[in-house]
Amino acid sequence: MSFGSIFGAWVTVFLTLAILSYLYKDNPFYKVAEHIYVGVSAAYWGTIAFWNQVWPNLFGRLWPHVNDPSTLSKFNQFWYKIYNGLHWFSHNVFPENGIPGNQQQNLWYIIAFFFGLFMLARLIPKISWLGRWSLAYVVGMAAGLRIYGFMSSNVIAQIHGSILPLWIINEKGAILYGQMINNLVLIVGTVTGLFYFFFSVEHKGILGKISRVGIYFLMISFGASFGFAVMGRISLLIGRFNKLIEYSHKQYGYATLILLVVMVLTLLILNFKKTEEVTE
Amino acid sequence: MSKFLENLGSIDRRYIFLIIAIVVFLPLIFPLGLPVEPTNLTIDSFNAIDKIPKDEKVLVSFDYGPSTKPEIHPMAIAVLRHLFTKGNRVIITCLWPDGLFMARQALQQVAVEEFDLTYGVDYVNLGYRPGNEAVIKGITRSFPANFAVDSRAIKIKNIPLMNGVQSLKNIGFIFSLSAGYPGSKEWVQYASDPLGIKTSTGVTSIQVNEILPFVKSGQLQGIIAGMPGAAEYEQLLVNNDIHPVIGKAGKSMDAQSIAHLVIVLFIVIGNISYFAKRKKEKKY
Repeated sequence: MSFGSIFGAWVTVFLTLAILSYLYKDNPFYKVAEHIYVGVSAAYWGTIAFWNQVWPNLFGRLWPHVNDPSTLSKFNQFWYKIYNGLHWFSHNVFPENGIPGNQQQNLWYIIAFFFGLFMLARLIPKISWLGRWSLAYVVGMAAGLRIYGFMSSNVIAQIHGSILPLWIINEKGAILYGQMINNLVLIVGTVTGLFYFFFSVEHKGILGKISRVGIYFLMISFGASFGFAVMGRISLLIGRFNKLIEYSHKQYGYATLILLVVMVLTLLILNFKKTEEVTE
Repeated sequence: MSKFLENLGSIDRRYIFLIIAIVVFLPLIFPLGLPVEPTNLTIDSFNAIDKIPKDEKVLVSFDYGPSTKPEIHPMAIAVLRHLFTKGNRVIITCLWPDGLFMARQALQQVAVEEFDLTYGVDYVNLGYRPGNEAVIKGITRSFPANFAVDSRAIKIKNIPLMNGVQSLKNIGFIFSLSAGYPGSKEWVQYASDPLGIKTSTGVTSIQVNEILPFVKSGQLQGIIAGMPGAAEYEQLLVNNDIHPVIGKAGKSMDAQSIAHLVIVLFIVIGNISYFAKRKKEKKY
């Protein structure tokens, strides 16, 4: 077993136990784990966004790698001189002769580049209005992209899926009561559930009763969601426990057992000291 | 008795955490071997994969990360085992950056260690591309425009498996391993529905209610629902002589079942305590 694997196991066990220790009460172990989590998450997502999005898709399309810049058109020779300035700034981020990755040059991406800069302008109050242009693009693009998918799959296909027969006979002539009841429940649930969210008419009398049935269906749905949520959380807990059990073995230096004992003892001592201070 | 019932409702919640920890931990150490019965949703998903013709290429999308690994990863392993046993060739994509690492682990275990398959011929990992649903929309028109190279930086035109795969139209089946956005819903909206490609999915428990309507309307072919769904799929592989033993999900189901029983018990006790308290308040 390599040192890296053993060290990784100890870090995993420490962070897992530190986060779980919050169930006892807020404590220094939890605070350490929480701060590491926030810091690492921010750095991780920042790195991922830059190296997977900005670097290959933006810089990679503005300055794709060329073998010999002197063979380029006059405009592109000037364009790559700008790149050379960036290359001087950082050799790792902007390697010589362009960004590798088999991208085709596409100078329309200069618009995306400026929209990206405009986003950052929101940090400077005097020119923060520039950020609205970028946001307008993002909102418009997202709405345009999503409306088609949402309308066809979530609205039209779902309406189509809820138009069901209430009288079903199979090829042998037998009536399928079970399926008929299922379909009836689905139709009643859909109609009454939708009616509950129809606010143009006061929910009184027969309309009130229909809306009441809708609430029952919604409550059953919330109950099912809660059940699934509990199931999901228990699954994640099982995942953590499986790791803790794996890392409690000899090849990992009994990481779980040692760290568990150390943390429990430390928490007990801290608790004892705090009780003494309160008493004094 | 009445006092005892009332006090049960205000018990220190840390005792509840401790009890849950114990009932989850003990069955992992001392397995009970409770049976796992596959449900219709998992059977539908299994049958949909089983019916894919051998010559069809299958796209499996790894849209999850380490935070949901205990739920989704066993599904990934089970589905890959099923596909490779059938002889289907598999193209992997990732809409989540962490999905790339999950895909590498799953492929190493199943494709390399268990099946000894050839990279680029039997399976390929195209890796992660940013852009969420825009990536799906993009590959409905062209793979090379969105995945110029695979996760090993090999040009896509030099990968034998990608010969003849110009867009998603050349894919026979999509399976989305999804832990949220982007995931199953986006595959239905931008690939499955517009192109009519059969699609199935494995999702986290918390997503099931959201995805279930797509199964009922026939937009998705079954669903593997959380860890129990993964355990059911593993059981189906055993029942159909595809794999000899159940996997990680199946082994964890004892803990899951016992924990659920205890939580139901807590809910019942909580309600009894609530009604006892309300009865007393009404009395005075």
